[in-house]
Amino acid sequence: MGDELANAPVALANVSKAFGQVRALSGVTLTVRAGETFGLIGPNGSGKTTLIRLLLGLGKPTGGTVRVLGRIMPDRRVAAQIGYMTQSSALYSELSVRENLAFFGAIYGLHGRALAGRITDTLRLVDLLERVDAPVATLSGGMRQRVSLACALIHQPRLLFLDEPTVGIDPELRMAFWDYFARLNTEGVTILVSTHHLDEAARCTRLALLRFGTLLAVDTPAGLRRESGQEDFDKAFLYFAQRQSVTAEAQAQA
Amino acid sequence: MSIRRVLALAGRIVRQFTRDRRTMALIFLAPLLVMTLLNFVMNSSSSGLTLGIVPPDGPFGAALVSQVRAQLNGQGGVTVKTVVRDAVDTTLRDGDADGVLVFPATLDSSAPAPVLRLEGSNPAAAKQLRGLVAQLVAALASQQQGASLPAGLTAPVTATPVAVSYLYGGPQYTQTDSLAPLFVGLFAFFFIFLLTSVSFLRERSQGTIERLMVSPLTKSELVMGYVLGFTLFALLQSLIILLFVVGVLRVHYAGNLGLIFLVTLVLTIGAVNMGIFVSAFARNELQVIQFIPLLLVPQILLGGLFFAVATLPVVLKQLAYVMPLTYANFALQDVMLKGMGFSDVWPDLAFLVGFAVLMVVLAAFSLRQERV
Repeated sequence: MGDELANAPVALANVSKAFGQVRALSGVTLTVRAGETFGLIGPNGSGKTTLIRLLLGLGKPTGGTVRVLGRIMPDRRVAAQIGYMTQSSALYSELSVRENLAFFGAIYGLHGRALAGRITDTLRLVDLLERVDAPVATLSGGMRQRVSLACALIHQPRLLFLDEPTVGIDPELRMAFWDYFARLNTEGVTILVSTHHLDEAARCTRLALLRFGTLLAVDTPAGLRRESGQEDFDKAFLYFAQRQSVTAEAQAQA
Repeated sequence: MSIRRVLALAGRIVRQFTRDRRTMALIFLAPLLVMTLLNFVMNSSSSGLTLGIVPPDGPFGAALVSQVRAQLNGQGGVTVKTVVRDAVDTTLRDGDADGVLVFPATLDSSAPAPVLRLEGSNPAAAKQLRGLVAQLVAALASQQQGASLPAGLTAPVTATPVAVSYLYGGPQYTQTDSLAPLFVGLFAFFFIFLLTSVSFLRERSQGTIERLMVSPLTKSELVMGYVLGFTLFALLQSLIILLFVVGVLRVHYAGNLGLIFLVTLVLTIGAVNMGIFVSAFARNELQVIQFIPLLLVPQILLGGLFFAVATLPVVLKQLAYVMPLTYANFALQDVMLKGMGFSDVWPDLAFLVGFAVLMVVLAAFSLRQERV
């Protein structure tokens, strides 16, 4: 177990985070294994974004330790190995696709032929190679999300944090995104992705159900189905939520 | 500090703004437009003004009127008209004249001096006429020295012949000459502040700042990149303004370009960092605009553009002496008008450096908040 913790790309031990009186996370313990797509699933306000921001080093936990690639966060030294993407595409709309990728590449120290190669590789992955010189302002929302993913991948990160990357895009493109994630896993990239689309849960290697800042369960999709006795993830989520409420009440009475 | 990352950032800023044609026009053409307009306004001749004359009685009166007309001919289209002695106020009220010069009815040694009656609701026109009439009376007096001139005319003028000489500039210097240096500073400060705060605001609102914050880019690299990118625009803008005022508006210029650039550079560093700091308090572009009356208008009003700082009331003078633009104005005027060197303007520069350092600290502080 100790060995697994040390080698895991992401390891949280009893992590809590409070903003003033508001507890955003309490007692979260989980590990993400190398090369898997780990889903962080829960409704809006369940603490997904807070958790990802702690992993990125954008803030300190109130309690517990957040370990990323073996270092206790926040630690700038892991920055070069992490890729990050959110639901807002976060691109410079005046610039072309190539210029955006080149800028973020340069920030990560890429230049010359290596940079040009990465621009081609990442755009090929997201099927946008033919739009390389289009200004971002002329792209559709879905295309921008794909460029955004390419930007997050430009420096070949070992670890990818994706905060609701598929919010607001059409079902077909959402499927495509999960195909990209699967391809990245085969290249050895570890992905931690949050979503509130429960139908996406089945595509994760393993997933954590999060509600009111606490973990309900962490398991493979098949394991969660088996334990809850529910085929449907919506129902499975409700099952775990109810089970937690019952436990909490019992604890309160005791 | 990675130079490559700083250059990537500066290059991105330059690229973004060169794509934005309208903003480019704003930075480089708006100052020229404003200066051209001011040049016309400040140095406009008295065209459009009408001076009424109530001549003395007798044949001498008509001769005097035609003499006045001849005298004012070179004064850029002041109209001269004869007014009847008891219709002076009616003429002014009806707007037929902006002022009337009333000569005494009889010109002899005991006659009083001529009186200038002004319409007066427009102080600028009144002031212009007053100056014009003073010149006119002086000219008439000197022309007719010893001749059959009324005593009332000769007495006040010939009494005090003052010789005037100039340490800097000369009689050919106009308002535009003294204002040109101030505009170099003002435009650099104003536009760079505005552009930085808006583009930094966009980094926040579109989420790119988060991408940068989780990347290996450090805060000092971020600030350096912004300073470098915007300094290029500021220096180019200063150069264009200088070329324009010297080449087209024919402003007198005695300065050292390198020193002007140095002042602009230090001012720009302050402006960029003030923009970064202030953008932390704005949620949208409109809120950035709201900082203009708060942070910029006082500097424009008190910094020497409209009133000499030394003539301000004590409280306002103290306020002016904590504003960066005041010092930029002092330095730029000294360099451009008086041809002074580094050894003369370094105290002003030192204040600007101090301001820039303060703004860098505040900008760094506002970026620190970004990570939580």
